[in-house]
Amino acid sequence: MLLTVNGRPVELTPAPGERLLTLLHERLHLTGAKFGCGQGECGACTVLVNGRLTYSCLALAEACDGAEVTTIEGLAAAPPHGPLTPLQRAFIAYDAAQCGYCTPGQLIAATYLLSHDPAPSEDSIRTAMSGNLCRCGTYPKIIAAIQAVARGEFGAPTRPVAEPGRGA
Amino acid sequence: MARRPRGGARTFVKTVVEVEGRTEERVVEMPAFEPAAWDDAASLTIVGARVPRADAVEKVTGRARYTADIALPGMLHALILRAPIARGRITSWNVAAARAVPGVLDAMGPGDAPRGTRLFPTDISYAGQPVAAVCADSLAAAAAGARAMATKFEATEFAATFAAATAPGAPLVRKKGNLMEGSPVVEQRGDVEAGLREADVVVAREYRTPVQLHSAIEPHGAVAEWEGDRLTIWESTQGIFRVREQVAAALEIPQSKVRVIKQYMGGGFGAKNGAAAHTYVAALFARRTGRPVRCVLSRRAEQSDAGNRPATTQRVTIGAKKNGVLTAIAVSADVPLGVGGWEGGPGQVYHEMYACPNVRSEETFAYVNASAMQAFRAPGYAEGAFGLESAMNALARELGMDPLALRRKNFTRIDPRRSRNWSGNALRECYEEGARRFGWPGPAKRAPSSVTRPPSPAPSSSPLKRGVGMAAQLWPTGGGPPSYAHVRINKDASIDVLAGTQDLGTGARTLLAQVAAEAMGARLDDVRAVIGDTETLPYTGNSWGSMTTPSVGPAARMAAEDARRLLLEAAAPLLGVEPGDLETRDSRVMVRDTDRAMTFREVTEALGDVMIIGRGSRGPNPEDRTIATFGAQFAEVEVDVETGVVRVLRLVAAHDAGRIINPTLAESQLEGGIIQGLGYALFEERVLDPATGVQLNADLHDYRIPTIADVPHIEAFFVGESDARANHTGARGLAEPPIIPTAPAIAAAVADAIGAEVNQIPLTPWRVLAALGNAQGR
Repeated sequence: MLLTVNGRPVELTPAPGERLLTLLHERLHLTGAKFGCGQGECGACTVLVNGRLTYSCLALAEACDGAEVTTIEGLAAAPPHGPLTPLQRAFIAYDAAQCGYCTPGQLIAATYLLSHDPAPSEDSIRTAMSGNLCRCGTYPKIIAAIQAVARGEFGAPTRPVAEPGRGA
Repeated sequence: MARRPRGGARTFVKTVVEVEGRTEERVVEMPAFEPAAWDDAASLTIVGARVPRADAVEKVTGRARYTADIALPGMLHALILRAPIARGRITSWNVAAARAVPGVLDAMGPGDAPRGTRLFPTDISYAGQPVAAVCADSLAAAAAGARAMATKFEATEFAATFAAATAPGAPLVRKKGNLMEGSPVVEQRGDVEAGLREADVVVAREYRTPVQLHSAIEPHGAVAEWEGDRLTIWESTQGIFRVREQVAAALEIPQSKVRVIKQYMGGGFGAKNGAAAHTYVAALFARRTGRPVRCVLSRRAEQSDAGNRPATTQRVTIGAKKNGVLTAIAVSADVPLGVGGWEGGPGQVYHEMYACPNVRSEETFAYVNASAMQAFRAPGYAEGAFGLESAMNALARELGMDPLALRRKNFTRIDPRRSRNWSGNALRECYEEGARRFGWPGPAKRAPSSVTRPPSPAPSSSPLKRGVGMAAQLWPTGGGPPSYAHVRINKDASIDVLAGTQDLGTGARTLLAQVAAEAMGARLDDVRAVIGDTETLPYTGNSWGSMTTPSVGPAARMAAEDARRLLLEAAAPLLGVEPGDLETRDSRVMVRDTDRAMTFREVTEALGDVMIIGRGSRGPNPEDRTIATFGAQFAEVEVDVETGVVRVLRLVAAHDAGRIINPTLAESQLEGGIIQGLGYALFEERVLDPATGVQLNADLHDYRIPTIADVPHIEAFFVGESDARANHTGARGLAEPPIIPTAPAIAAAVADAIGAEVNQIPLTPWRVLAALGNAQGR
């Protein structure tokens, strides 16, 4: 099957029943999306599939044939290779990552939120982000970081997430 | 700084260290010199700065590599099979059938693992106990192998509760009996009966706390690889050296042949303090197959057999004079530990928190047929504080006294348990500043608060009732020796701080770099902390007991001071002055009162390949002081009296942990502890099926931890000053304390809102409704 992952085409054959998370993690060595529960409870594996927020631990790899997948690695290259997105910079400035394990999923969910609602209310942030658990308790800092980006504190998005049918 | 001449004073002396609330006597190597303490007058610029986390870029780009992200050529995946019964035995299993499954490389069952690992017993003593393991070239193949193993079990009578395990004729959980040796543990001072006779008011209550699960988002895991007779383990752990020691002992190989690496971990909270089944399974399969093996727990295993905070029942009696002066405190506690564990007792805080001449605790620890407890953020103290602080709040209501005033009245200037001074104690400042920012005591009398005020309460006919509550906290957390650090100045004057410690997400990497940069007079950007590898780094202990900053921090500072001394000795002849004429700032060596200076790099390049290596170690704690962190938290809640649902509207937390190395990261620790405390107060409770002893909520859906939607406005901050008596950095530990007072503060606010006490957490809707029903029925 054909997949576009972070803008690059990939051809591979998933095993029957293989999940997208396993495919990303073990075959493509994109380890940013994390295994936390394997059953869609924690959100650590969150990626975008055709622009949709997706728990990659639940998504069947075969069902993603032809899809565009964006993982944390696709948001921005780490310095010095490329600039971070405003959300990534805000997460650093507001200390929104402690252990950092849930952070890739949080960032994907926050990116998705702001791409649909550039000025979310605090309640909207809480609702939109409630599918991503954090046990370290970074929630107040995540809210602050998202609000700061929405206020424009970190400038305009450096690389908007492409979304088929909606334009970039 | 004074240098101790070699061969002069004693090199090895004994010192007392607090670990997870327990006191241990240890031998310590006296440091060669002790830097002058950074007291409040010290002018520091990097320590105390809100610099970003040193590894933040790795974390926000997904490049931080956690244990389960390690992939080695030819790596296999291992899976652990677990008992579905609480007690009994495994009657059949088929290793050969498992090995015959395509993709399966190896399998182990009872009798196949070395004795030292204690793996795969035939007698089962709790549901979830490992009984066998399979490794294969994919997890799917391992799962097929596990099914082929066709394990069968015979269940027998079990005792999964304290009552069942301590009943006459109870089934034996452990061969030597169901009570922990030494139970009941009794500690007392004064005469509680006499104290109660003196009291004008006595309250007696029974409090219950649940089994809380650590629930790190990253499950426990290990990757193991052998090269000849040398074993490397990548492990998600709070203690690389402890894992090394345990693995070497279990496999009967020298510690020098075991290397444990941990760069990033996805949360620990006390559950990842050593090697466990997954570690041994990975190491054994790797040895048997000659290939690297990864073993990561499933979420179900993580929630059912990876540690927990044990439940408690606490019967509390407190007596006081009319003016609020305490005359007696007594607690009798029952603690079901699981099949193993230690006495992380709830009784201790009762002896330490308040000035009271008569205190007695009696704690009974029982083994039950359930997974063993492990340290969980402030073990014992979070449980004990729910009882003690709730009883204090009940006493305040009985006395008609402000609960904050009651606590001020009983403030203790000394550690009443050990009859000695505190190294520092700003609890009263926590009370004052917390109350001020919260607008304590209540809506009627509140001053303006800096916290966003929720909308005004609904009219009195509304089912939504508001209330406020508070609670206080103490946690012995001075850290201590042994801890070693080296500071290495590279040829280009980049600086490495080397210490075999761990960063759990707490910020150790950042703090050690800040401490070393400050001590050296280096730019922070030039300094990097290298941690997490037993083979290349000097020893430090586990990252538990909020000990890393006050233990490794002073060692890193001393190593940096030592490196700075060598650097100045090298620079002095280059500048034509004595070392004493030099000072350092911004990675430059400057001749005092002149404009002559060299950069660190100019000095190191002049040295050629001579490398400056500073050595540091953590000295002993003061013998005549108790080192503890203090705090007070204030909560406002809204309770729907029709549904029983509790919503926390805001929390204000004031804590004193001595010098704060990085306020931003420290406040993150406060918020994290408070949020786990909120979960403890409102949702979190392991549930075992009474009929089978099997856990009913071994996932993150039915075992509910707080989501972002549950978290109120939190204003968490530090008061207090550098604690120069605790250690020469002035910093005490701070990560565990904030979980301690949150649940009793929330419970007090609920009682204030509904006019009835709920004395069992979590404060579920049905418990709130039952308390309301009882109150109305009276």
